[in-house]
Amino acid sequence: MSPISGITPLPPGALPGADLLGSSVTSLPGSSAVGGVPGLAPAQPVSGDSFAKMLGNMVSDINTQQNTATQTVNALQSGQNVPLHQAVIVMEEANVSFQLMVEVRNRLLDAYKEITSMQI
Amino acid sequence: MIEALFNQPGYLAAKKALDAVTLRQEAIANNIANLETPGYKRMDLAPTFQSELENACSAGDAQQIASLQPVLAVDASAVPGGLDGNTVHLENELMQMNQNGMTNALETQLVSNMLSKMRLAITGKS
Amino acid sequence: MIQIISGIQNTTAALQAEQTRLDVISENIANANTAHGVDGKPYQRQEVVFESALQQQIGADNANQMPTLKVARIINDNRPPVQIYDPGNPDADDQGMISMPNINIHEEMADLISASRTFEADLAVVKNSRSMAMETLAIGKH
Repeated sequence: MSPISGITPLPPGALPGADLLGSSVTSLPGSSAVGGVPGLAPAQPVSGDSFAKMLGNMVSDINTQQNTATQTVNALQSGQNVPLHQAVIVMEEANVSFQLMVEVRNRLLDAYKEITSMQI
Repeated sequence: MIEALFNQPGYLAAKKALDAVTLRQEAIANNIANLETPGYKRMDLAPTFQSELENACSAGDAQQIASLQPVLAVDASAVPGGLDGNTVHLENELMQMNQNGMTNALETQLVSNMLSKMRLAITGKS
Repeated sequence: MIQIISGIQNTTAALQAEQTRLDVISENIANANTAHGVDGKPYQRQEVVFESALQQQIGADNANQMPTLKVARIINDNRPPVQIYDPGNPDADDQGMISMPNINIHEEMADLISASRTFEADLAVVKNSRSMAMETLAIGKH
């Protein structure tokens, strides 16, 4: 698993159609349908913040998490006193976050394609 | 935003329990290693951790759970088995080790389940 | 070196210590009737002295330091040899007395059993720790 490096937050307006979606996206599609994940708070509709900014924050959070995971695994490999379960769990959490980001990207691309294929 | 994904009390509690299990295994291993050492007093998890974890779980406070720290301490309730002051009893240690192993199995399964659920929620397939 | 199975450093030391003890006891039993050793004197019973010291843990905080076991030294027991009346023995002196090592087989067997028991218990700890580590590695696998 290669760490993500050099991912820069998206500048506003980089995603065509993002402004169209606006800030009314309150939850990721499908994520609130599964019970038993009670703490998954839907993203608050923040007034004034654009969707692109929220996306940028998410990407940088995930980047940080990937870096932490790599550091923990490196510490474990160099013989430091890292508990095994901590390293494994940190890696799995980084994986899940990464999947989240990929899924968000896919949905955005789908939405963009759908919008651009609309007949005016 | 990502923190909210992983900040659920049940999940955090399972991770803390795994910390405690690892520490406890170390203590039990050391107790058995010193089975014949004169004057050795057996060590175990400090008993306050269990009650603190229960309180934090029933309060549902993720911050509180995340701040808990299990520590090892000399077991004050252990009695010596012989004249040399050694408080380790082999059958007790073996039973504690079995229990610890089962707790490890349970907690790793809980953590795995949470991660699978998150994956299912995100991608729509497990 | 990477530490996959955590917390069993003391167990390794204990296994070595108990193995040493088993070796010493076996030698005592084997030489229980050696009246005439290399130096001309009867075999002197040997004993293992354990000691425990606070383990220095690299990188860990002081809250979780635990005493660790090691063999301090193997000493010669200073029990005097027993004198037995056996005039037919070639090593007997003019009164027909011969010095035999002061080794009590029952005592040695009891020590042997307790050393074996501890050894096997330590092996069980290693086995258990390994299976717990395998379970931990399986976290998140679908």
